[in-house]
Amino acid sequence: MLVWTKPGKALTWLVFGLVFGILVIAPFAVVIAAAFAGSWNGVLPSGPTTAHLQEALSGDRLASLSVSLQTAFLGGLLAVVVGTWSAIAAHNASPARFADALHHLPIAVPSVVVGLGLLVAFSRQPFLLNGTKWIVVIAHLVLMVAFSYGAVAAALQRVDPSYAEVAASLGASPSRVLWQVRLPLLRPAIASAAGLSVALSMGEVGATIMVYPASWRTLPVSIFALTDRGQTFTAAAEAVVLLTATVLVVTLLDRLRGRPQT
Amino acid sequence: MTVQLDDVTVHFGRTCALESCTLTVAAGETVALLGPSGSGKSTALKAVAGFVRPSSGRIRLDGQDVTELPPAKRGIGVVVQQYALFPHLRVEDNVAFGLRAARRPKGEVTRRVAEMLGLVGMTSYARRFPRELSGGQQQRVAIARALAIRPKVLLLDEPLAALDAQLRADLLIELQNLRREVPTLAIIYVTHDQSEALALADRIAVMRDARLIDLAPTTTLYQTPPSAFTASFLGNANLLPIKSSNNEVTVAGHVIPGVQPISGKELLCIRPHAVRLGAGGVPGRVTGVQWRGASYQLTCEVADVLVRVDLAADGAVPAVGADVQLVLPSEACSLVSR
Repeated sequence: MLVWTKPGKALTWLVFGLVFGILVIAPFAVVIAAAFAGSWNGVLPSGPTTAHLQEALSGDRLASLSVSLQTAFLGGLLAVVVGTWSAIAAHNASPARFADALHHLPIAVPSVVVGLGLLVAFSRQPFLLNGTKWIVVIAHLVLMVAFSYGAVAAALQRVDPSYAEVAASLGASPSRVLWQVRLPLLRPAIASAAGLSVALSMGEVGATIMVYPASWRTLPVSIFALTDRGQTFTAAAEAVVLLTATVLVVTLLDRLRGRPQT
Repeated sequence: MTVQLDDVTVHFGRTCALESCTLTVAAGETVALLGPSGSGKSTALKAVAGFVRPSSGRIRLDGQDVTELPPAKRGIGVVVQQYALFPHLRVEDNVAFGLRAARRPKGEVTRRVAEMLGLVGMTSYARRFPRELSGGQQQRVAIARALAIRPKVLLLDEPLAALDAQLRADLLIELQNLRREVPTLAIIYVTHDQSEALALADRIAVMRDARLIDLAPTTTLYQTPPSAFTASFLGNANLLPIKSSNNEVTVAGHVIPGVQPISGKELLCIRPHAVRLGAGGVPGRVTGVQWRGASYQLTCEVADVLVRVDLAADGAVPAVGADVQLVLPSEACSLVSR
């Protein structure tokens, strides 16, 4: 505790409340208010209605949610597999630094550039993926691998190498050591990597907007399009749907993490 | 089984962690690798276990070259300082790990696990997770896990270093008992604690700066240390500079009766408990008195050198600043080179 006096504490909380409230809470509150607003001409919205939300949950719009969820699970979870695999492979190997740099490249460059790159690369035979959902999934995979790799590589640094060494000395083959010792020890990191990947994937716009086909439009892209056309209230309602879905999914994935080890 | 390190050198990048180490441990023998941290003792153990690859030299088990074999094919039991019990497995599954890796029949695994947990007195904790155990209990389980695979060699890397003093003493007694239970086991015991080495080892290998500098049976090494480093590291000996002439050895101008000079050896080594206070000794001045419960330790200044003296707690104790005479009995003195 750095601040001891009562007025000092009160002031600290006030400043924190103001900054956090204005920067984090207020935008959420405005989006939620807009989602249920019939009109918003004064300071406060008026004519509360659930019409926008009903529209956001209607067949055609709900398809976007389904697309987002499928993309997030397919791309995000594939990214966890690939990220975990490469983090374990690169750990303590001589090209670890090179692997670090390589894996962080997709998030170091703007995601629009990643999208453009994929679009150019996969628009011709033999890798013609443009126009299919797979180019969207690949875009998400490429971006989320960086986060998964980072989370697992950081956890590997903290895991005592003695576990794997002792397991090997007990006669366990390398694959037995991997499946029965190393991966279980990394389970919390892998679970949080999965949560992070899925959550980020649910909200990805930059690369998606470059590559998505009409048949595979994710929820954030749909929100962007609606806002672009001036349908702010419907966009806000979709944003509420996106928010709720993401929170639910991430909470579920967090359960997988289980109780903390040691 | 005999363990042989033959001229083993280990490099980590540019640093040399172990330099031409040659050591043989016979079946049933316990050898302690004793040295300060960074002296290469753990590296030697890791080379035997197969966790690090020597840059040169061979490692043999019963004459068979295992230098290129992975740890899983060596059949060596390993116990480390931080226990390394698998946190997601129960005690019984930790102990069964090696047996299951070897695909032993279920009945045999159950029997062996029960036997091992009985050996270390942890039977009633079989269903617990490691995090539910104290440090001493975890180390017992780790020992049971290492012995379950019936290794012929057991490597212990500072197994008691993470425990507090009372537990350390208890577990030391259990390790001594264990040696009797498994008489053919070759044990390499890495420690920086001389009392553990003295209590357990048949022979002690003293290590310093990535080199094995002295190797001798425990009592020999303690009573007649071959080097100044070993003398002070093992038993905290006093080292006094001497002058030798005409079959006489003098400390601060005072002849030590009964000690013969040896050429090239310029230090007199004597343990703190062997020094007596009395008439006719080397004059010195008391600079510190420490009460240690069962004894006092005095620090005396003799010709610019500090000499530690253990005194029984029931006798008279001189005060700081008092002039005393230190008697150095010849049978407790040995000469070492600098």
